Amino acid sequence: MNIRPELLAAQTTAWQHLGWPGTWWTGAERVAIVAETRHAASCTLCGARRAAALPAGVAGTHDTLATLPASAIEAIHRIRTDSGRLGETWYRRLIGKDFSAAHYVELVAVVAITVAVDSFRAGAGLPPFDLPLPQAGLPSRTQPDRVTPGLAWMQVLMPDDWAPPVPDLYRSIPGPRERGRGNIHLALSLVPDAMIAWWDLFEPMYLRSAEMRDFHHEFRAVTHPQIEMLAARTAALNQCIY
Amino acid sequence: MDGDPTSGVAAADVLAAFAEAIVTDGDALPHARAAVVAALGEAAMIDAAAVVAGFNGITRIADATGIPLEPAKADETEEWRAALGIDSFAALKS
Repeated sequence: MNIRPELLAAQTTAWQHLGWPGTWWTGAERVAIVAETRHAASCTLCGARRAAALPAGVAGTHDTLATLPASAIEAIHRIRTDSGRLGETWYRRLIGKDFSAAHYVELVAVVAITVAVDSFRAGAGLPPFDLPLPQAGLPSRTQPDRVTPGLAWMQVLMPDDWAPPVPDLYRSIPGPRERGRGNIHLALSLVPDAMIAWWDLFEPMYLRSAEMRDFHHEFRAVTHPQIEMLAARTAALNQCIY
Repeated sequence: MDGDPTSGVAAADVLAAFAEAIVTDGDALPHARAAVVAALGEAAMIDAAAVVAGFNGITRIADATGIPLEPAKADETEEWRAALGIDSFAALKS
């Protein structure tokens, strides 16, 4: 099968990166999040909650690999199996002293990368990647200073508030800024390295911002209208309102 | 746009079935994949799989962070969001 080199490289890099220490989780913990994301797909409790009108009304315990804190397990399972019905009340109950908003944001990125890479491999008829190899080292535990509350459930780094030494998450240098036009670019910005890892994977799978708006050229073997139809259909199937 | 987001899109039916098969990870996937290859070729199947898989991830980011849709984008997409029933999903959040 002939996969675009840029697409293949983005997938391989993103997958290997999941095994590296992140900002708030170790490499081993990030690999455990990947494994739990895969495991959640067959969780009996998640299946029952997904079928229920009110997921919170279904009691029970998750079928889990049990290597992560309970809050992380709940987050992974709900994001993997029923993300369209997540609400802020659920999020606020999860977040606490040992599971910060920043831990949560990095976890969301790891789950999303796992889902995206696994979905692509399955969709294209390719076998799933083996779990990434966990790399030794400690999380950097760094957070941007000038973060803003109120847009998302957690604080975000607004593009105009970015400054070194925070990584160039909006690709502001050398300019013009390549990321940050849409709110979705800001969603993971509390953990800049997580945001960068996601968008470095996603853009070769979809389109870069400039390519999205360039209707005079086609950049993929499917056209702009086909791409947008696929995106809309996938969002609807996931009950996503963004 | 007439409110139907698939209208006028080449091979919309096979692409929509492919998207559904990937998202639901169901038994229909091999057939749906073969139909896209037959209609549009292998390179298109790969790029279609990449778009669906990417949006399978990014929808989780949007929904798990509560990031809101920009007002201008909501206005632009009002018709086909209604056609797909997307706005009704907000009432299901808890």
